[in-house]
Amino acid sequence: MAAALTVSWSALAAWPHWLIVLILLPLGGAVLTPALYALQRRLVPWWALLVAGLTALTVLPLLWRLAHEGPFSYLPGGWARPYGVELRFDEFAALLAAAVALLAPPVLLFSRRYAARAVPAGRLPFYYTLLLLNLGGLLGLAITADLFNLFVFLEVVSLSAYALVAVGGRPVAELAAFKYLLMGAISSLLILLAVGILFALTGSLNMADVAQRLPALATPAALTLAAAALLVGFMLKAALFPLHNWLPEAHASAPGAVSAVLSGLVVKAGIIGLVRTYQLFAGVELLDTANLGAILVWLGAASVVMGSFFAVFQHDLKLMLAYSTITNIGYIVMGWALASPQAMLGASLHLFNHALIKTTLFLAAGALIYRTGLRTLEELRGIGRTMPLNCAALALGALAIVGVPPTAGFVGKWFIALGALQAGRPFFALVVVFGALLAAVYYVRIINAFYFREPEQKAVVTAREVPWSMLAPVLLLALLCLGIGLLARLPVEFLEPAVARLLDGRS
Amino acid sequence: MLPEMLLELRPNLDYAAVVVLFCIGLYAVIVKNNLIKKLLGLNIMETAVFAFIVTSGMVEGGAPPVLGPGVMPPLASPLPHALILTGIVVALATTALALALIIRIYLQHGTIEADQLRELD
Amino acid sequence: MEIVDPRPLLALGISLACALLVFATGRHYGRRVLWSMGAALLKFGVVISLLPGAMAGEVYLFRLVEFPPGVGIGFRVDLMGLFFALVSSTLWIFTTIYAIGYMRGEADRAQVRFFGFFALCVAATVGIAFAENLLTLFIFYELLTVCTYPLVIHKETPAALKAGRKYLIYTLGGGGLVLLGLVLVQHAAGTLSFGQTGLLAAGAHDGPLGGGPLGGGQLGLIFAVLVLGFGVKAAVMPLHGWLPSAMVAPTPVSALLHAVAVVKAGAFGILRVIYDIFGLELLAQLNFTQALAWLAVVSIIGGSLLAWRQVNLKRRLAYSTVSQVSYILLAASLLNPTATVVAIMHLANQGFAKITMFFVAGAIEQGSGRTEINQLDGIGRQMPWSLAAFTVAALSFIGVPLLAGFLTKWLVILGALEGEAWWFAAVMVISGLLNAVYWLPVVYRAYFRPVTGVVADPGWLLRGPIIACAAFVVLLGTTAHFHLLPFSVASEAARVIWAEVAN
Repeated sequence: MAAALTVSWSALAAWPHWLIVLILLPLGGAVLTPALYALQRRLVPWWALLVAGLTALTVLPLLWRLAHEGPFSYLPGGWARPYGVELRFDEFAALLAAAVALLAPPVLLFSRRYAARAVPAGRLPFYYTLLLLNLGGLLGLAITADLFNLFVFLEVVSLSAYALVAVGGRPVAELAAFKYLLMGAISSLLILLAVGILFALTGSLNMADVAQRLPALATPAALTLAAAALLVGFMLKAALFPLHNWLPEAHASAPGAVSAVLSGLVVKAGIIGLVRTYQLFAGVELLDTANLGAILVWLGAASVVMGSFFAVFQHDLKLMLAYSTITNIGYIVMGWALASPQAMLGASLHLFNHALIKTTLFLAAGALIYRTGLRTLEELRGIGRTMPLNCAALALGALAIVGVPPTAGFVGKWFIALGALQAGRPFFALVVVFGALLAAVYYVRIINAFYFREPEQKAVVTAREVPWSMLAPVLLLALLCLGIGLLARLPVEFLEPAVARLLDGRS
Repeated sequence: MLPEMLLELRPNLDYAAVVVLFCIGLYAVIVKNNLIKKLLGLNIMETAVFAFIVTSGMVEGGAPPVLGPGVMPPLASPLPHALILTGIVVALATTALALALIIRIYLQHGTIEADQLRELD
Repeated sequence: MEIVDPRPLLALGISLACALLVFATGRHYGRRVLWSMGAALLKFGVVISLLPGAMAGEVYLFRLVEFPPGVGIGFRVDLMGLFFALVSSTLWIFTTIYAIGYMRGEADRAQVRFFGFFALCVAATVGIAFAENLLTLFIFYELLTVCTYPLVIHKETPAALKAGRKYLIYTLGGGGLVLLGLVLVQHAAGTLSFGQTGLLAAGAHDGPLGGGPLGGGQLGLIFAVLVLGFGVKAAVMPLHGWLPSAMVAPTPVSALLHAVAVVKAGAFGILRVIYDIFGLELLAQLNFTQALAWLAVVSIIGGSLLAWRQVNLKRRLAYSTVSQVSYILLAASLLNPTATVVAIMHLANQGFAKITMFFVAGAIEQGSGRTEINQLDGIGRQMPWSLAAFTVAALSFIGVPLLAGFLTKWLVILGALEGEAWWFAAVMVISGLLNAVYWLPVVYRAYFRPVTGVVADPGWLLRGPIIACAAFVVLLGTTAHFHLLPFSVASEAARVIWAEVAN
């Protein structure tokens, strides 16, 4: 029985076209959404959920194949490398794809009741279209092996994200969206410029091919410009300190479900970009990648500390969560740039785990706002009494993001700290611990306000739990924050070879 | 002194122009107070990048890469043009979205001057 | 001999289940009492059932889950851990009875929260006692921090909230240090599991990460970070600031902080650092314990002096804890078998004596609202049971023979002389004198000053635990030679620790 099951799984996974299906499903679903709205508007949320669910299922055979065969490629139209476009599913693509697959269905389920209130009725179809576009773009970004496609998918993600921030129609949100758009467009241009330079230098757009050709070049200035443009571009997208200014307002003023996607997934696009940049330039001797690494390590550490530092002084719950995203991006970048096996492993784990935890937190916060309309800690005092389940989920998420073992947030930070020691840079291990303490300070403030203060606002006293279709995703994700922490040895074993391979390619 | 530098620059004059354009755009985005002007700055930056990529496809003495009778290599590289078509579409979408946002901001706040908007917060 | 046995997990699970049941159904008075008492007795039964085997040299292991590969949550019952678990689960029974009586007047909501988090704290304490590795210990150590917070701020007054904040800042800071130490140990030794003769001693020679042998500087850093980290909860001076502030909490919570769990958890953590992470051999070469010993001396003397200055009974008790817990650290840092016995034994000696005094202080406050020492005139004649118990505990702290505290002082002095460190013996004598100086006046007032106002002994729910704990103080001091009683367990634990060194 088990054997038969295994065989059928591998047969399923062997079907070559899953990779392209993975992108086409959400993008196609997005395009069809407004049409469906015209026909049968009540079905739209279910349709979006269906698309997200199917997309999530598509990831499964891909993960299976990756686990059994290692990274694999797909060449749409059968054009050989490097002429055709290539899709490639490696462990880092899998991380982001798995995060999208895991988080998209709960977010969309949550959205059904949530968006009906948070988004003006006329914009509802566009809300779902944009969300699906965004998720499809993220998947494309994760699995593309082509520089220009990287840019295109990045734009799909970014444009839909700008619009999603404004979709709720709050005045603050529209201004924040414009700010986000300006910053995002500048970073996109920098990335496009770098892509142009790299193409001019190598005549190729395939990333693996470009990475092979770059070491033979003798134009340090052009290479440096390209690397710098990519770096700054993706740093902006990832909101790394000091280029983080656009993030807090955009993430805090968007509707809750959107904030979850933006903070959990969209900023990770910048991280994946940085990973790909690293892979491109790893072999180039003209360019001292160690120097780039050194800059990124410090910027990462600065993000960790400054993000938490700003968060401590916030009163708005969602602003706190947004600043905490900057902190966590800092962890991931720092881990990557430390470039020791354990630090990279930790960063990769944290990329996934932060997506999960931050989504939990933003959805739970969104649910609180849905019921009470209140946003600051002072106003929300005592909400733990009237919405106990939702607040329990939020508290669990808070513990996870602080990094309390055995939650999901712990493992990543653990390996980053160990990796800092492994790289012989104990200072950054200290930064990890210090960052966790700072995070504890403001998350304790949240828990304290919710559970141990008397409610003052009438809306808090009369609040009830949100409907089950909103509560269930939040609770599920909160439990996963714990469960994935307990099962962390699986992803660790899965990622270890990938990290080793990446570091080998460098030397 | 100066003319010599310019002479040296001549083979790369297009790149120099691109850099100048890019900087003008960036200046506008950062310094200008009016949101529309910021957006125009962004468009100038976009143009600079597009121009850069298109010119990188140029081949000395190359013919337009359109197949037909009597068309002989060398041909200019067609790929950058194709890429930039996509780039222009993206830029168009960005501009459209930005304009829509500016309209919304104007309707909500009655101004699109960045400093006045900041005071409103 | 290592045996896989789920009982350590069971002991933990009972407290956790109790907490869940209390949170779920605790609005009903009877259920709340039933769950709390039932769990306390059941857990004591499970823990004590581990004792005969452990005394016969068995070590119970139960690994639950490994989340970063190689480290994870696991439980291991050795005699030192078992001793700590026994002390805390015995005290839990008395504290539960006392709390049922003490909290009776409070609102249901407050009581549910109190009993629920109390059970969680005790679960965390068992987790600390039975932790198989430093990570598990750290997890439960932090759980203890988080779960005591709601208890400290129980009254939700501004003063309580302020004390709670102070408590969190101190303990989370300490937790951060422990976490840093955790990372450093994992890096240096490649493992976090206890039960070898010093993790770092084994790892120091060939670090699995190719780190090479560890220098004294690195080891010093690890030692300092871990000892200071655990030292926050152990209220070592100058990290003791949270303890007196936390006195705003209700009396059963003070008992929890001072006797059952929190302070002990810190001291126990330091014992683990000394005996399991560094190991006696490595520490004997390194000489770090000298610094720890002096730190302990500062706390012993300083704590006593500060206690002397207090006019509030509970604050005097709090500073006295600062002084008393450091006995454990001083004994542990002496690094000889006699001192090891007392380092473990004092977990119980201090616990029972201190909890008696807190119970009495709580009973006085509950019955008459009196909190200052100068209000206690003649109270000994009005509350004969309570003050008799209080006097027993006070005499124990002073070091009167036949009481638990005498054994502690006697053995520390013997240990100090064995290590030819006579000045530590002198510190013990001075500390005994100081204890006399600040406890005897209280006793004097209670018995020999004229009576003021009307007070009476509390009801049996409060009086029972007070008398029982005082009886334990006598028992601990007089039964040193009986098998399976605390002293024999502590000396067997010390023997095992030193036997490993001899091999």
